[in-house]
Amino acid sequence: MAIEKHDKENSGGGRPVAEKGEHIVARHLIEDDNIKEEKNLVIDGVDVSGRWNTFIISRVDSDFDRSFFEEIKKTVVGSRINRCWQCGMCTASCTVTPLYRRFNPRAFIYMMQLGNLRELKKYIDVAWRCVGCYKCSQRCPKQVNPAEMMEALALVMKKYFSEEVKTKLKLDEEVKTIYEDMIIGHGRLDLAKLHTSAMQKSGRTKEMLGKIERGAIFEMVKDGRAFSVLRLGKPHNWSSSKEAIENYLHKLKTIENSEAGV
Amino acid sequence: MDKLKENQAAYYPGCALLTIDRAYNNSSKLVSKKMGIELVEIPDYNCCGIGEMKSKGAASMYLPLRNMMIAKNRLGSKNLVMACSVCYHEFSRSINRVKENQNELTAVNEIFKEAGEFKEEYIPDGEARHILEFLYNEKGVEEVKKNVVKPLKGLKVAPYYGCLYSRPSMYTFTDKKPKMDNSERPRFMHEFLEALGAETVFYGNEVQCCGGRNVVQDEETSFTLCSQTISKAKKAGADVIALICPKCAGALDVNQPKIVEKFGKDSELPIVYLTQLMALAFGFSKKEAEFSDMISEPLKVLNEKGF
Repeated sequence: MAIEKHDKENSGGGRPVAEKGEHIVARHLIEDDNIKEEKNLVIDGVDVSGRWNTFIISRVDSDFDRSFFEEIKKTVVGSRINRCWQCGMCTASCTVTPLYRRFNPRAFIYMMQLGNLRELKKYIDVAWRCVGCYKCSQRCPKQVNPAEMMEALALVMKKYFSEEVKTKLKLDEEVKTIYEDMIIGHGRLDLAKLHTSAMQKSGRTKEMLGKIERGAIFEMVKDGRAFSVLRLGKPHNWSSSKEAIENYLHKLKTIENSEAGV
Repeated sequence: MDKLKENQAAYYPGCALLTIDRAYNNSSKLVSKKMGIELVEIPDYNCCGIGEMKSKGAASMYLPLRNMMIAKNRLGSKNLVMACSVCYHEFSRSINRVKENQNELTAVNEIFKEAGEFKEEYIPDGEARHILEFLYNEKGVEEVKKNVVKPLKGLKVAPYYGCLYSRPSMYTFTDKKPKMDNSERPRFMHEFLEALGAETVFYGNEVQCCGGRNVVQDEETSFTLCSQTISKAKKAGADVIALICPKCAGALDVNQPKIVEKFGKDSELPIVYLTQLMALAFGFSKKEAEFSDMISEPLKVLNEKGF
């Protein structure tokens, strides 16, 4: 079989060539790197370039990392991973997938099942998009609870790609820290403070002085809500709960570190 | 604090309802009282974790369960009523998880023991109840009809349930237990609104998510989802959207000026809480129902319609 590639532009036109991977069903679920395509290809003297000539590079993983699977399963949020049979109902019902095509719960769970960190790493930027609406968990026929699996995914990301998380997900991490500090440290959420600190962290202080924000703040000062936010104190005796929660989290961290050999 | 009487229920206000969402808090109390149940706030409540602590194992479950312990110890009530869907989710998630997993229950009880605030251990025998489901099942549609003095004739309402009121059924038991709402097509709010004399519109986004959880970090997603919901409701002819969750209010109401700026006038529609409409129909004034608290200005349309 003689295969030759020739430059279409020099050979004078020919059939129109499709966009890369254009005719693949559910194209959005496949990364560009995984598509093999020959636009101008001649086999045994026949020009076969065109729509049929698209191949998806095999994604079969043979190196299962069972320890990774067990690690996910041990967390409260990822405890149901062993139930997943990859039917795809989670991705089909996902609120976020239509907005961010690369957000694909089914694929994330598959990669976590296999322990394929190399693949997972490619999705650091979208892994935090889950809105926690639980449509996936509602419709999952095996009650895997994909919505909480996305929390497990966040744990994986933080543990194995801490540097990338720090740079690429700086804002997400900072907002999460504001929440956690307030919930554990103060026992209650101060919504005004939460909003202003988050805006500051994302460098949007100017926006807070904008017409819309100013209008809302003015309204709340006028009708007294702003002051009720300021007045909201801590629960009594919160310090004992705070200490107990912190100790628990510290223990959790120590176990995790000793397992990771840190 | 005294134990509850028969016509009282333990109530968890959460962080939003005592501050910026006081309209929801106060109207819920007014409406419940009118229907024959007094909501009694539990003292010393703490934050439910608002979905941000889920990856922290037992710590995330300790947060809501501490409030369940307060309800039981101080008010003698196993159950706790709440108006926020996020709180409702966090409570029912924690209760069900410790019910079904002994290890997690033990871990939570270890935190309780260390904090030393309560003498006995936590036993998962109570339930968290969303105010809509609570009023529907305890008092029913007939009780609503009985109390209506000013029917909302001619008002078209788009009922918006959002996500966590009915999902996931593994925690909410919608579809699974008798007397619970449907997960995909909830009806309780529809029935309440119709009992008030209002007309409900079908617009297809009743159980869609508002993206409220990521609103700070990922405005784009939230705004797009909100804009879809508002414009669909508007197209279906709704005068207002009725909510049952303060987080939805944060996304749909507080952010509406920004959403309109981005997506245009199609995304402009007054937002109210279900309980505010109930209060209005029960004869309370617009001031008592605190409609002026809403950023999206429902007062205009209510005045136009003559309420």
